[in-house]
Amino acid sequence: MHSILAVDDSASMRQMVTFTLKNAGFNVVEAVDGQDAFEKANSRDFNLVLTDQNMPRMDGISLTKKLRENPKFKSTPILILTTESSDQMKQAGRAAGATGWLVKPFDPAKLVEVIGKVIR
Amino acid sequence: MAEMTNDNSHQSAGIDLSQFYQVFFEEAGENLETMEQKLLGLDIVNADDEELNAIFRCAHSVKGGAATFGFTDVAELTHQMETLLDKLRRREIAPNASMVDVLLASGDALKAQLGRHQGNGGAAVDTAELLNSIRALVDGRGPNTANTANTGLAVAAGVQAPAPAPVFRAPDKPAARALELTVGPLENIGDADNLVDLFKEITDLGTIEPLDAGKGADGMRRFKIVTASSDDDLLDLFTFHVAREQVRLAPLNSGYGFHEGAPGAPVDAGEAEDPGYGFFENAPGAPGGDAETEAAAPTAEASPATIAAPVKAAAAKVDKAASAPESSTLRVSVEKVDQLINLVGELVITQAMLAQNGKGIDAGLYQQLASGMADLERNTRDLQEAVMSIRMIPMSLVFNRFPRMLRDLAGKLGKKVDLVQVGEATELDKGLVEKITDPLTHLVRNSCDHGIEMPAERLAKGKTENGSITLIATHQGGSIVIEVRDDGRGLNRAKLLKKARERGIEAPDTMTDQEVYGLIFAPGFSTADVVTDVSGRGVGMDVVKKNITALGGTVEIDSAEGYGMTVRVRLPLTLAIMDGMSVGVGDECYILPLSSVVESFQVQPGMVKTIGGSGRVVEVRDEYMPVLDLEKVFEVPRFDFEHVSNIMVVVESEGGRVALLVDELLGQQQVVVKNLESNYRKVDDVSGATIMGDGRVALILDVTSLIRRSRH
Repeated sequence: MHSILAVDDSASMRQMVTFTLKNAGFNVVEAVDGQDAFEKANSRDFNLVLTDQNMPRMDGISLTKKLRENPKFKSTPILILTTESSDQMKQAGRAAGATGWLVKPFDPAKLVEVIGKVIR
Repeated sequence: MAEMTNDNSHQSAGIDLSQFYQVFFEEAGENLETMEQKLLGLDIVNADDEELNAIFRCAHSVKGGAATFGFTDVAELTHQMETLLDKLRRREIAPNASMVDVLLASGDALKAQLGRHQGNGGAAVDTAELLNSIRALVDGRGPNTANTANTGLAVAAGVQAPAPAPVFRAPDKPAARALELTVGPLENIGDADNLVDLFKEITDLGTIEPLDAGKGADGMRRFKIVTASSDDDLLDLFTFHVAREQVRLAPLNSGYGFHEGAPGAPVDAGEAEDPGYGFFENAPGAPGGDAETEAAAPTAEASPATIAAPVKAAAAKVDKAASAPESSTLRVSVEKVDQLINLVGELVITQAMLAQNGKGIDAGLYQQLASGMADLERNTRDLQEAVMSIRMIPMSLVFNRFPRMLRDLAGKLGKKVDLVQVGEATELDKGLVEKITDPLTHLVRNSCDHGIEMPAERLAKGKTENGSITLIATHQGGSIVIEVRDDGRGLNRAKLLKKARERGIEAPDTMTDQEVYGLIFAPGFSTADVVTDVSGRGVGMDVVKKNITALGGTVEIDSAEGYGMTVRVRLPLTLAIMDGMSVGVGDECYILPLSSVVESFQVQPGMVKTIGGSGRVVEVRDEYMPVLDLEKVFEVPRFDFEHVSNIMVVVESEGGRVALLVDELLGQQQVVVKNLESNYRKVDDVSGATIMGDGRVALILDVTSLIRRSRH
């Protein structure tokens, strides 16, 4: 079963994402911010990282950069959740090494659709 | 956004989103509280980056959830707040007092909106003024502060009492959609701003934000619009400002994208159409990119990594800079905790019975049993303390409301007041917290209203211009002591005596200062020449005292005229356990709250006199006190007719006293209070019951009620 690391400082968002992805047959590990996610990533393997951008301690872009520094996560799909799809935000994500983005608000159907594109 | 089915449920991909609403509401409530506290504590002159970021994140988080779960009114207001806060945190504009006021008022409006969505009723929240004010501040203009203040207060006044059974109000329908608006080619790029203005002028039209960072290329502009209006309605509005062929609306409903070539990005990812998500080409992990898209296959987790229920993981290491409090606490329902406390209470009673019965055991013969019993007693006591502490929460939760309240109140009165908190980490029982909040609020209001002088008067007296009110919470013995201390004008003894006499209250000159101050608690007493609407309406110091006494506590006042006043409230740490004095009448055992027992003595012949044929009084040190014979009050059967009750226990409550006639004093102990009313029914003169060590039921007497009975 594929494992997804879901990172968001909002409990309700984490719950929604976890429930949706588990329903779709994935194993999900939650993290409350970038720091928490980074620590969990170091001790486990994931097929996908889904992270919010605005979080305390370490934001999504910074998390992405740090994960890419680890050979283990060189090719892992990392998607950044963002409340805007502005060009500026996209550039920052690309520069950090993210795989792509998903705009908030999204609904469970959209989430499953995106995940489906990167995890077969 | 989300598909709405006919039966009002909020469904998508077969998942009902309404199951997440409760968590969102709680989380949003916490975010709003944090935001308010941080706004109140914000140093406008030297604003801290981290604080501004934290405030931004509060609004951002509420917006994200509100938009996701379909609460578009909340999303719209938080979106605007976020725009202002984003500029602030990027230092594009500087913070000022009007911004804080507007943001505080917006926070109030959000609480009201969320309250309505949770089914708490209340008037619909009109956010037009707030939205205008925020936009004005974002654009660098001053807001219409008078209106902002009124909006804030109007919102607060419009909220009514909560409805009995909360029913989630369905999110606003129809659901908001995300659209991409392309405008152009325009001769004058600035014409596109007219369309942006439409969203400022028309409330509920939705939100608009540039996708091209405000700069167009080749006369083209791109925007993201989130709206509940139809395409036709939008186009009708837009075509006032630009030609129809220059406007293109396309659904942004995909909402994701991949960077071409990014690791893991899908092979067919192009950025021709923004489907709302994207994969960076050749980015690690992007679909179709590397052949090794999959990292090392993770081992199947033996146990589920997460549980959907709101249980946070065990404490994570917390950084000094910012804390992640969620990961070190557990959310548990109050009913579960109460049940646990109840069960432990039963355990304590059972252990006491065993101990009683085991007293006669030969410790030499049954050595292990005896030592086992000793262990049991110790373990039970430890367990009880530990369980009681679960319901203990810090006073800061009570104190938290005062900075905001005081700010608004002092502002209204034209006074300057600093609030100091000491010992806010001191804990007390959750049940007490809820009941102590109103009395404390009244005391603080009272200090601000009647105690602290106007700034000019203070300066004239040689005091600092800013008055201060200090809240102190400490543990003393088995009680918690809460003080409200101010450095205002203090109490005037002569004035108090005069007022008391005017009201027909006996106030001899021989009264001590403490007793004179205590006159404030007499019903209907008010030394204010004008009863202000701030602290005078409906609630008086007498109600404060009554509430505190009902909790088993005491309140006293200390004052130094010209220097200030201190009100000291003493409360038991918990309502579930009480220090009691047990007395015997016939074969029955009754418990009196130890805090209300004044003294006890043996009755001498001639001390008790009969008055008016029915009432009996006893003379104690030249004072006469009514007597209640408990045998008669509770109709205790008497089998030994030679026995005469001859012990008096004087008890006191709310200034009144009565002497209770009993057979004997049995002892003092801590008793576990059991609620009689919920198990049987309300009984006069009885406030609860407990089970003694020998298994007998003892009724806990209601002293206030007995005193009332003696007066009839």
